[in-house]
Amino acid sequence: MAAEEQNPQQPSGPLLSVKGLSKRFGGVQALRNVSLALRPGEIRAICGENGAGKSTLVKVLTGIVTPDTGTLHLSGVECRFNGPRQAQASGINLVSQELSVCPDLSVLDNIWLGTIGVPFFHRRQHLREQAAQTLQSLGAGNIGLDTPVAQLSTGERQIVEIVRMLARDTRVLILDEPTATLSDQEIGRVLTALRAVKASGKSLLYITHRMSEVFDLCDTATIMRNGEVVADRNIADLDRNSLIELMLGRPLEEMYPSRHANTSVSVALSLRGLRIPKVAGPIDLEVPAGQIVCLTGQVGSGAEAVVRAVCGLVDNATGHVLVDNSPMPLARPEKAFKAGVRFVSGDRAGEGIFVSQPVAGNLVATRLQRRSRMGLLNRMALRAEASQLAESATIDPKRLNSTASELSGGNQQKIAFGRNIADPDTRVIVMIEPTRGIDVGARAEIYKLMRTLCQQGYGILVASTDFSEVLGLGDVIITMYRGAIVGRYTADQATMPRIVADITHPEA
Amino acid sequence: MPNAISLSRSSTGTPTQRRFEPTQYARIAIVLALAAFALTTPGFLTEASLRSLLSAMSFVGCVAVGMTFITISGNIMSFSLGASLAASTIVFVATLPLGTWTSFTITLLFGAALNALQGWVIGYLRANPIIVSMAAFSLIIGIMSVITDGNGLYIMGTEAVIFKRNMGPVPGPLIAFLACAVVGQLILSFTNIGRTIMLSGSNPSALLAAGVEPWRSTTWAYSFAGMFTSVAAVLIASRYGSGDLLHGAGFEYSAISAVLVGGTMIQGGHGSVVRTVLGMLIIAILQAILVLRGFSTQYQHLTLGVVVLIVIVLQWKRSR
Repeated sequence: MAAEEQNPQQPSGPLLSVKGLSKRFGGVQALRNVSLALRPGEIRAICGENGAGKSTLVKVLTGIVTPDTGTLHLSGVECRFNGPRQAQASGINLVSQELSVCPDLSVLDNIWLGTIGVPFFHRRQHLREQAAQTLQSLGAGNIGLDTPVAQLSTGERQIVEIVRMLARDTRVLILDEPTATLSDQEIGRVLTALRAVKASGKSLLYITHRMSEVFDLCDTATIMRNGEVVADRNIADLDRNSLIELMLGRPLEEMYPSRHANTSVSVALSLRGLRIPKVAGPIDLEVPAGQIVCLTGQVGSGAEAVVRAVCGLVDNATGHVLVDNSPMPLARPEKAFKAGVRFVSGDRAGEGIFVSQPVAGNLVATRLQRRSRMGLLNRMALRAEASQLAESATIDPKRLNSTASELSGGNQQKIAFGRNIADPDTRVIVMIEPTRGIDVGARAEIYKLMRTLCQQGYGILVASTDFSEVLGLGDVIITMYRGAIVGRYTADQATMPRIVADITHPEA
Repeated sequence: MPNAISLSRSSTGTPTQRRFEPTQYARIAIVLALAAFALTTPGFLTEASLRSLLSAMSFVGCVAVGMTFITISGNIMSFSLGASLAASTIVFVATLPLGTWTSFTITLLFGAALNALQGWVIGYLRANPIIVSMAAFSLIIGIMSVITDGNGLYIMGTEAVIFKRNMGPVPGPLIAFLACAVVGQLILSFTNIGRTIMLSGSNPSALLAAGVEPWRSTTWAYSFAGMFTSVAAVLIASRYGSGDLLHGAGFEYSAISAVLVGGTMIQGGHGSVVRTVLGMLIIAILQAILVLRGFSTQYQHLTLGVVVLIVIVLQWKRSR
């Protein structure tokens, strides 16, 4: 509550008003005296690092969590929710990061799924018309009502989910990182749809890690840190740096570490005619030692598949992959590892780390062989190595015994990185979406870590759909479209418009 | 083995901020209730009753140590360990004329190989562990029935006497069971293979992405399971003087109960052999109480079912 500022009150009064919310989980004060107001037709950003209390706030507003203290007013009437259904009945609905559409049902079925008051058999004409109208109003009239959702792109699915919430007579729509898994072009579509929602007089609470969306879309911002509201501002009064500073509580040096003149001529990794049937190829590219090469494209462009193939994780890949000029067999993760390829996945829970294992065990997971004699582990050496790696990866050494699942996304990603530091056999580090779903502060640290690794002489190959990341980080930027390389740029040649043009419509 | 316990405990928080959760209170309450129940049961604290309790527990206990490896490796359980035990008793009795320890070694290797094969099918061919172990159950019983023509083999000589011996008041099978538990926990905590089995149970995709192909550790987990099961086979064959396909029937169910009651998570990547020993002890004490109080076998099954159900509910609450 350090610097809470009151918004100028509209004559109509706030649609949603929250006062003095507090919530404690065991020893953690997740929310502390949080207040905010939302006017009709306002888009308010909720900003904050991971752990700032954003998701707890969302859970309170949608009735999933009951607050310890505090009140919630909708159009001046006090509300108490015992469960999500009551929140829905009052007109508060949530679109979450993980899509909750059923892929095998049609768009129409998905739109009415779970809506109170809609009969089990809902093939009635007025429901159909209402759904079509809502789609139309969001500029998504091209999505057919009878199309199975499985045939839609991820962005279109997100729009279907937004339409579902609007069709429920929503007054306040909460969006929790709706664009986290979308490519930039799809984000554009979703943002257009959200502007149409705003124009219809509904209010939105918008949670995102992407700064540019806050400035593109939102009117006001509530900035949270450690469970408290630290600022409440109009977007016009903020700029990128001041917003980041408010979130972090301290000034942020440059997000991206400076590139350094690289004199190395040795090639750490080279791909020659790499093909993945029906996905990508033939791909030729080189990753010089000491440089970061970024592959970028929309979701499905093949950039991610190419990186996976380099790690041996694509069974039907063909062609030649050379590490330090010696050929490496494909489709065998063990062989790729032996050749010196190290993989850091952005899908942390899925394939990045061992969430049920301690941090220390995660850090040394790939070093067990080297640290054992006749199959017996040298536990002392492993322990020492784990704390050393934690230090290099800027992980708090007190957390070595914590289970990895207790850590924030940013710290989990540091674990995935930390595994590959100071490994004499590493030649190339390959990554997919290295900062997916990670807050600003941790992102900057991870970029710095990547640069440090580079300086130690590793080559780094990154597949990312985040353009600002690619532009800020890459020494070489390679654009892809439908499985083929479109352009190659050095850092000073690359510009945002060129990259966007390349990956969306390369013919033009 | 304090080291092993602290390792498996680290999931409940750093030592400085460890606090008891409701499920832990529930667990302590259950243990206290069990102790009170046992001590007030007439005849429980007699040497004869304790010895029969500990011997009976030890046979299934060895299988449970083996089952722990399968559960931790992320493959839930094996339905063929009982069949593997039965086949191993026959191999043991058949090879006894070659010498006590030769026969012992052959039996352990047989059990390990029999299950390693299943582990390879599950790990390398990515087959469903439940289906594979059920198929293996039928195959093992089927093949062994054909070979033995359905007849048991009987121990004629005195080669197996050493496996029947007790050490003073301590039953021999108990010593074998505890030895299995110690070896099992050492493998899990102090070897490369043991740690990799744990990692592959925790997240096989992450292990693969880190450049370690999980089928190797799966194969190892099953071969350890087979090896410990064969130790039970040697004990049983020696005790009853026969190798018979009827030995060990249903052991896999008691074994997985012990694993779960001990607190090893069914989804893998978490747990320890020490926990399994504790789980086995709880189940054995409960069954002994029921016997001493004159309940029939049906009630023992019923009680075991209830206990496992309670544990599953507690695990579910803890994982939320």
